[in-house]
Amino acid sequence: MTESDPGLRAPILTATGLVKQYKRIRAVDGIDLTVDAGERVALLGPNGAGKTTTLMMLLGVITPDEGNVEIVGHRLPRERSAAMEQVGFAAGYLPLPERVRVVEFLELFGRLYGIRQPADAVAAGLERFNITELARAMGNELSSGQRTLVGIIKATLHQPRLLVLDEPTASLDPDVALRVRTGLERLCADEGTALLVTSHNMLEVERLCERVVFMSAGKVVADGKPDDVASSFGRADLEGVFLHLAESSGAFPTADIDREAS
Amino acid sequence: MNGDRVRAISRRQAYVLVRAPQRWFDVVVWPVVDAILFGAIGVYFGQQTGTAAASAAFLLAGIILFHVVFQAEVSVATGFLEETWSRNLLNLMVTPMTELEYGAGVAMFGLVKLAIGVTAVSVVALIAFAFQITSLGLALIPLVTILIFVGWSVALIVIGLLLRFGQGAEILTWGFIALLLPLSGIFYPVEALPAALQPISEALPTTHVFAAAQQVVAGNPLPWDQVGIAAASAVVLAVFAVWFLTHMLGVFRSRGYISRHV
Repeated sequence: MTESDPGLRAPILTATGLVKQYKRIRAVDGIDLTVDAGERVALLGPNGAGKTTTLMMLLGVITPDEGNVEIVGHRLPRERSAAMEQVGFAAGYLPLPERVRVVEFLELFGRLYGIRQPADAVAAGLERFNITELARAMGNELSSGQRTLVGIIKATLHQPRLLVLDEPTASLDPDVALRVRTGLERLCADEGTALLVTSHNMLEVERLCERVVFMSAGKVVADGKPDDVASSFGRADLEGVFLHLAESSGAFPTADIDREAS
Repeated sequence: MNGDRVRAISRRQAYVLVRAPQRWFDVVVWPVVDAILFGAIGVYFGQQTGTAAASAAFLLAGIILFHVVFQAEVSVATGFLEETWSRNLLNLMVTPMTELEYGAGVAMFGLVKLAIGVTAVSVVALIAFAFQITSLGLALIPLVTILIFVGWSVALIVIGLLLRFGQGAEILTWGFIALLLPLSGIFYPVEALPAALQPISEALPTTHVFAAAQQVVAGNPLPWDQVGIAAASAVVLAVFAVWFLTHMLGVFRSRGYISRHV
């Protein structure tokens, strides 16, 4: 699949009108989000902006009070199983179970994702990220960076149409983070995999993502190319936008950027 | 239902049992302790009345059958707990696996643990007290089948409570099933219980299973009326357990309780 392929930009994820209220806190307040095939999108915002709740709703783990989520044409929650066959997920904060080896963990999830003989896919994944020596290691023997790499391999074993990564490079050394970034860019370009990533590392986001969606107080306050979003807030870069939103309280100016036109 | 996913979960459970020595406590140590304890009590009291063998048989049949329901419940509930202890719940919830496939996988390996546990208690009863549980003959088949379903039903209720209240409720894994021990008339007729508890006891499927087993141990034919009542009340319990777990899973997703497990 190439950039010119018309199928490449078909919507993979469509979320409309997502609302989530926790007692007196409105965690998510009417989010609309579309991610197209091959697109690399970052969901950003300060702590408490509603990113995690939004991600969990997109993954079907939290039920929205209002709104709909559709993944490759499969509506949640009714078609959750079919939708999740198209999704890979990894989070930098999730450990590996202690009592399984890396290869066993990966083969378990390969089978859960429908790969009948996952050994080849597991070997290829370990090779791709250059950690074949960890295959027999137990989960509790890995560094946090190694765990993150294994998590990303797990998330990509079944060649998902949508890859959701929550803080994927938070604990990686710069050289490993570069390898991960390069691998993800190649995956999105070659396979048309859509990428939705959250991160607090704005430099990382600028390098990896072609589009950023900033959230604050449960709402989308900016959506567009990194440079366009930064300039719409009068900032030099995404770091400046992030700090501005983190320091602000109450209402934020909505940067209504037409990403199709930009 | 996808058989590969069911087998993958069973395999995951097997890794945990093989590599976590403390798990053998539930599976082997408690059954052996109970067999020795209740066998010895039966022999002692029997010696006072000149019926040592009969008394031991009465208590040992009760404790062996109790371990069927105990192992069925604990193996499934601790199988789920293992995912919360290892913070693996989110990883599993974002796969295509359905709740039914997960439950079937855990229950399938649970049968292995049940077989090990009941074999352990039966072997001790045979070697130490010359009591052979197989002397109950074919009556064992319906009785054991009902007890396994009761154990699984209680496990579903316990998992529902774990989803609702988090790991703080894990004591219920062992505590809930322990409530059945005095209420089910395992070692005595229901009439021996305080009057206020007797209606509760009568409503439990386990009470009728143990009443039927006591008849068989005494040399009488299997009382099918008791088996019928036990089966009917086990079905009611199973329906309630499935409803309760489904409701609690809805609460878990609605209130975002996944945040307790990441």
